[in-house]
Amino acid sequence: MTTSVELTWVSALRAGLASDMVHDDADTLERHSRDSAPFSPAGTPAVVVTPETAEQVRHVLRVAHAHGVPVVPQGARTGLAGAANADDGCIVLSLLRMNRILEIDRGNRLVRCEPGVTNRGLSDAVAAHGLFFPPDPASWNDCTIGGNIAVGAGGLCCVKYGVTADYVLGLSVVLADGELVRTGRRTVKGVAGYDLTRLFVGSEGTLGVIVEATLSLRPAPGPSLAMLAQFPSATAAGEAVAAIIGRGHVPSALELMDQVTTRAVADVGHPMLSGDAAATLIVECDDRDPAAEVAAIAELCRTAGAVAVTVAADQEESKRVLDARRLVLPALQRQAASLPGRPTAFIEDVAVPRTRLAEFIDRIALIAAEHDLYISTVGHAGDGNLHPTVVFDQADPSAFARAERAYDAIMEAGLALGGTITGEHGVGILKREWLRRELDPGALRIQQGIKNLLDPEGVLNPGKVLA
Amino acid sequence: MTPATSLDSLLRVLPEGRVVTDPDVTDSYARDRTFLTPGRALGVVLARTRDDVVATMRWATEHRVPVVPRGAGTGLAGGATAVEGGLLLSLARMTDIRELSPADEIAVVEPGVINADLDRAARAHGLMYAPDPSSYEISTIGGNLATNAGGLRCVKYGVTRDSTLGLEVVLPDGRVLNTGRRTVKGVTGYDLTGLFVGSEGTLGVITAATVRLQRAPAAPPATVAAEFPTLRQAAEAVAAVIAAGCRPSLLELLDRATLKAIDDWRNIGLDPDTAAMLIAQSDTPDGQAVAERMAALFDECGASFVAASSTPQEADELIGVRRMAYEAKERLGACLVEDVCVPRSRLPEMISAIEAAAVRHDVLICTVAHAGDGNLHPVFVFDHGLPEPPPQVWAAADEVFRAALDLGGTLTGEHGVGLLKRRWLDLETGPVGREVQLGIKQVFDPLGIMNPGKAIQN
Repeated sequence: MTTSVELTWVSALRAGLASDMVHDDADTLERHSRDSAPFSPAGTPAVVVTPETAEQVRHVLRVAHAHGVPVVPQGARTGLAGAANADDGCIVLSLLRMNRILEIDRGNRLVRCEPGVTNRGLSDAVAAHGLFFPPDPASWNDCTIGGNIAVGAGGLCCVKYGVTADYVLGLSVVLADGELVRTGRRTVKGVAGYDLTRLFVGSEGTLGVIVEATLSLRPAPGPSLAMLAQFPSATAAGEAVAAIIGRGHVPSALELMDQVTTRAVADVGHPMLSGDAAATLIVECDDRDPAAEVAAIAELCRTAGAVAVTVAADQEESKRVLDARRLVLPALQRQAASLPGRPTAFIEDVAVPRTRLAEFIDRIALIAAEHDLYISTVGHAGDGNLHPTVVFDQADPSAFARAERAYDAIMEAGLALGGTITGEHGVGILKREWLRRELDPGALRIQQGIKNLLDPEGVLNPGKVLA
Repeated sequence: MTPATSLDSLLRVLPEGRVVTDPDVTDSYARDRTFLTPGRALGVVLARTRDDVVATMRWATEHRVPVVPRGAGTGLAGGATAVEGGLLLSLARMTDIRELSPADEIAVVEPGVINADLDRAARAHGLMYAPDPSSYEISTIGGNLATNAGGLRCVKYGVTRDSTLGLEVVLPDGRVLNTGRRTVKGVTGYDLTGLFVGSEGTLGVITAATVRLQRAPAAPPATVAAEFPTLRQAAEAVAAVIAAGCRPSLLELLDRATLKAIDDWRNIGLDPDTAAMLIAQSDTPDGQAVAERMAALFDECGASFVAASSTPQEADELIGVRRMAYEAKERLGACLVEDVCVPRSRLPEMISAIEAAAVRHDVLICTVAHAGDGNLHPVFVFDHGLPEPPPQVWAAADEVFRAALDLGGTLTGEHGVGLLKRRWLDLETGPVGREVQLGIKQVFDPLGIMNPGKAIQN
């Protein structure tokens, strides 16, 4: 009988956890059933567990492994690819209570922490020591370090400072059978054995559960200055990006908003923004002489054909410049609110070689027209990583179908331009069919081999990444 | 099957001239820069194309013959040493730079391209290939990738892995695998690129790499050198430079034994009271000011002598001292070159541990360090006449390895495990880590023909 089987493993689970760490009330189960991804099916977990120690995580995995129960690790569920979506009858393993910062080492510029620490919590804690943890995904206020590592998260400043993978020195990982493995090291360099750390970064909870991370830090950057430039075409903006990079400037943010986004933000109201421009660039510099650098970049933008350039004179004005980027989400929410039914905004994540950026933006505009959709595109231009956002009414079956097709068309266009289907959000459920299009068959076979090696029973986040 | 008949069938599938069996020639491909005695190889394949590699690996799989891939043989851990009855596969003649895109700041290169040649090609476009192992004028990109080589610049610009975006790899069964991408960012699937970098030819044969180029600094770097009466003061000066956020593009430490070896050879006027020398560079636009700040910090930390270079020639002379280090030691005897790396703050303790090991075991150890990375190269010097390091050298090395691990460090920062460090690898990876490593090896190389016995403990 199903119930008695369930009872066996649930009671085994309870035996190694405190009573307030196993949850099966409908509310909690529902709340933990999915992350923030579009188009991705989710089931109802049998239980949600909230362990506080690595030993307890090992216990959960041992029980799951012994009874063949799927385990879905979760952080703050801010993910955008469905990698944290529950399966029916699974154990949702929430790492949110493992949120301690274990060590901040100023001399070696590193921090050791548990996976449930939020990106913001970690950033604030190290900032108090004059240090800087650069990866800053848009969800940084809520998302967890464990989740950031699991997806290989990026953010605004990775154009200068790199992505999460570049900051992970070592990990403690609980494997599918409950064994604990330590990977990597506390040193800046090291090549002993295969790079298991990199293997776990971006593996989306399918190879093991990260219970501790050693992360490298940087010295806090100096004060920054920002500027904003508007262009008559995506091509002109793309040329400005190429010129900025080509001249060796290393801005700490280099963000691009397309025509639709520019219009939306202007409609919300921003003093420096004209809604008529075809593209807007927002640049921030934090090097020793940011004033000189933004001035030089402003000149490059003018040469590339910018119709309006605003350079911040001080921190206060910089903040207003950057507000234009921060207003994107509220602007899109307002756009969504104007729709009937159940409006929503779904965010895509494709990266192309920098030189193909303008072409890609133009193709997205065509895709929006072809599918009769509102698509706003913002992007980390310096990385060639764009986030086209489709705003539509999901209660409207036709709009839903068109949005799904447009999503696919965008990925297809990205691949055709020599890009990748995901720059920083991951594959999850959303893109697992597309993974097959991007990776060659040999690579798929190897990926599956690695999955089988580390999770022979298939209990770890099954069906994610590799279908 | 006799070796001779096996090679006959290989000769049939490769273009003429690709396979050499003359023992004199084969011997010249059987070693790296270590003292290790290689096994007797069946022959060497001098691959010119990816298809040559594919044919070789298919043949090797069919005949279950071990294959040892190699670049220029400049490795320091025995990774490219011939194995008994195996085939050597030289990639040194695959030297095409297939593509160099200044706008995307990437290059697609074959494994036999010399590191410095790629750097020079990039510099023609105002770019550079950042990783610069000491062997950069003679080592190949393929070898650099296989060991995840570091270098002098990586204190600022990162190691080989940080410059690798994607790879073309021939698997042991001859299938071609493409990993990674041409974009700066990307998270599709598991990071196979990261697995191959540093795998020392044990998972497959790299036949092309898409690498990142970086903007070359506009001006020549500003250089400062300082001598210290104690090693500890030099190590403290390193910590001070890092803590002050100076971001040097080079920060090297030479101990007294090394300086003396150089002085004996080239007479650099070494002061009898100097225990260590630091050489630092900054390549930022305000490099001169940064160099002055570093000079002031060296002073504060008790340097007995500080010299800033005012011309590129002077800078070259200061760096030249560092570049002479290895050759100077090789004049003293045979060398076991080690490569421990510790958290930066533990540098003084690590140096003390090396000094203690040298005294306790009565071994000459000359140490240079990429101090900004906490990466030390203690070189254990022993009699040229000996076929391998004598027991006291191994005893001292053992002590150094264990000290590094105790200090939260690693056995190897940038040279790799090869054959030399396998004995100690378990101490670092632990039993579960070892099991996973072996499992990964199995996934890629189920027959165990790729560079068997290297890099991982089996």
